[in-house]
Amino acid sequence: MTFEVDINGRTRTVAIEKTSDGHYRVVLDGEVHSVDAARVGVYGLSLLIDGEGGTSHDVQVTPGATGGELLITHGGRTLTATVNGRRTGRRGPDTGAGAHGEQAVLAPMPGRVVRVLVAVGDDVAVRQPVVVVEAMKMENELRSPKAGRVKELNVTPGTSVDAGRVLLVIE
Amino acid sequence: MREPYLLLQFTVTIPMKILVANRGEIAVRVIRACREMGIPSVAVYSDCDRDARHVREADQAVHIGPSPAAQSYLRIEGIIEAAKRTGADAIHPGYGFLAENAGFARACRDAGLTFIGPTPEAITRMGSKTGARDVAIKAGVPVVPGTDKAFDADASDEEIVAAAAAVGYPLVVKAVAGGGGKGMRTVEAPADLLGAIATARSEAGSAFGDSAVYLERRIVKPRHIEIQLLGDQHGTVIPFVERECSIQRRHQKVVEESPSIAVSPELRRKIASAAAAVAKTAGYSNAGTIEFLLDEDGSFYFLEMNTRLQVEHPVTEMVTSVDLVHWQIRIARGEKLDIDPEVALTPHGHAIECRIYAEDPDMSFMPSPGLIRGLRPAAGPGIRDDGGVGVGYTVPVFYDSMIAKLVAWGSSRPEAIARMGRALREYQVLGIKTTIPFFLWLMRQPEYNNGDYDTTYLDRLLTSRAQSFSEPEAADEDLAAIAAGLDAWFRANVAAAGDQGAVNRGSMWKQSARREALRG
Repeated sequence: MTFEVDINGRTRTVAIEKTSDGHYRVVLDGEVHSVDAARVGVYGLSLLIDGEGGTSHDVQVTPGATGGELLITHGGRTLTATVNGRRTGRRGPDTGAGAHGEQAVLAPMPGRVVRVLVAVGDDVAVRQPVVVVEAMKMENELRSPKAGRVKELNVTPGTSVDAGRVLLVIE
Repeated sequence: MREPYLLLQFTVTIPMKILVANRGEIAVRVIRACREMGIPSVAVYSDCDRDARHVREADQAVHIGPSPAAQSYLRIEGIIEAAKRTGADAIHPGYGFLAENAGFARACRDAGLTFIGPTPEAITRMGSKTGARDVAIKAGVPVVPGTDKAFDADASDEEIVAAAAAVGYPLVVKAVAGGGGKGMRTVEAPADLLGAIATARSEAGSAFGDSAVYLERRIVKPRHIEIQLLGDQHGTVIPFVERECSIQRRHQKVVEESPSIAVSPELRRKIASAAAAVAKTAGYSNAGTIEFLLDEDGSFYFLEMNTRLQVEHPVTEMVTSVDLVHWQIRIARGEKLDIDPEVALTPHGHAIECRIYAEDPDMSFMPSPGLIRGLRPAAGPGIRDDGGVGVGYTVPVFYDSMIAKLVAWGSSRPEAIARMGRALREYQVLGIKTTIPFFLWLMRQPEYNNGDYDTTYLDRLLTSRAQSFSEPEAADEDLAAIAAGLDAWFRANVAAAGDQGAVNRGSMWKQSARREALRG
């Protein structure tokens, strides 16, 4: 089976096949690894890379807060990945600065809009604060994912928003 | 006749059941102390906290209202009513919520309940930041230069600008009722003053129901040093070895430790006796903390007093072996402090605390509420986990985002840092983002390791930083890709096994899946 895994803006191809010794032949972008993989609990994977006697990695692969997003936790670090393009939208806030085309600023958590710092037609710089959402007792500045112009503005101060709601669109 | 009568009185005055008017890790912390002391505990909870850990660990639990704090954890009548209903005779307020609300302490007293904390009078005196400054001045302790009282709500812009000029820039706008960095803004230049006042007022108004603010000069390169103290009801005040909390993000402490690398034993004695003088002047009893700013030249200034147990109290417990919550309860029931002041002032080893927040450090520390799918706190030598959540619990959006405090103890500061790094690698919180990767990164920073920082260090570092705190290298990304692929493979094949029903050929995985299915 072959999967496309997106991590940190790169798409990796992972081909997996089970071998007669019960291990897995994993081909990552053409590089072959023999992996002894054990499922531990619902989300855990104990991986011995390059077989028994190889390097041991305790990895957790957990569904994230938004659909299709996977959180991969290893040694206190967490990376976000998607498999086979299963993401909620092409326009998520973490698709990287400098991306082309339209990008939406989504509410990353449920909360209440307390301030809107831009208007439709405004030019914005990358990482410029555009909306302030209050959640968990703190005011959180949401920033523009790219340099561009405000095309759509869907909220006003006082609007309650759910996670994933498109607050504004930058073109 | 006389003896039984005395015995009866003694029994009646001891708190026999404690209601914990809080939630999250601090509620769990207090419930643990109750259990250790053989005292029954009562939890309170809002709608979204029915399945919270503090509810599950208490002896009894009372629903006190809808999820917004104003309708539950901040509603005084509801909490008093819950205590009466369950027969609790004492209330521990934890920190935050009603902990520094004199009206609440008074309501407890009026209802015949023991408030485990200072008197309402002491809370009023020290809870007002400007009132506390007056007490410090009276006690002969230096204070940071600033406006002596809050601005009136209708103070003119000219009046504010003139007062600011007298204090001098850079300055800090502070909420009179403030705490936890809310309602607080730094102003570098006169142009930003009025905007900062407006924001601080609005934030303070929504957080504390009191939008009064005042100004204070900002000490350049200050370190945040604080003294924990305990006072009993018989006039004894014992100050403890200092904590340093200079690692702050937007005025909110994120790492605390004890002792401070910047404090010599001589300075420790000076600051501790200043703190004790303030507490005695205030007529303070129970646990409290006096915060100071320490200047580069070793001079220190009274900042404020927190009239409650602090988030960071575990680091003091780790280096002194004194259980502060036990003592809060013992003091509240009238016992005399019998802690050796020398022991309280002499740190044994070094302790560091990291506040684990449900926030995404790679997205400007945006809150990351949601379902906790897995949880494996760190353990092992020298590690203490004060957690407030469990697997299957959804971290709500209504409250502070702290889900646990991880504390590491070592015989020296470098050992404590190394141990913290080890523990952070072990700590797993699955399903939501947390600040663990950020702390792992921080523990590697040379400035942190050398003790070369002040309260502005972290904010300065963060503004110039765009990369992920997970700092993934090519090998980490490769491993994550392999893990994601294998996870998808396993899920596809378990699903396939389910489709095929009883058909299994040679796969241990499928066989065990089938066994599980048959058992069900």
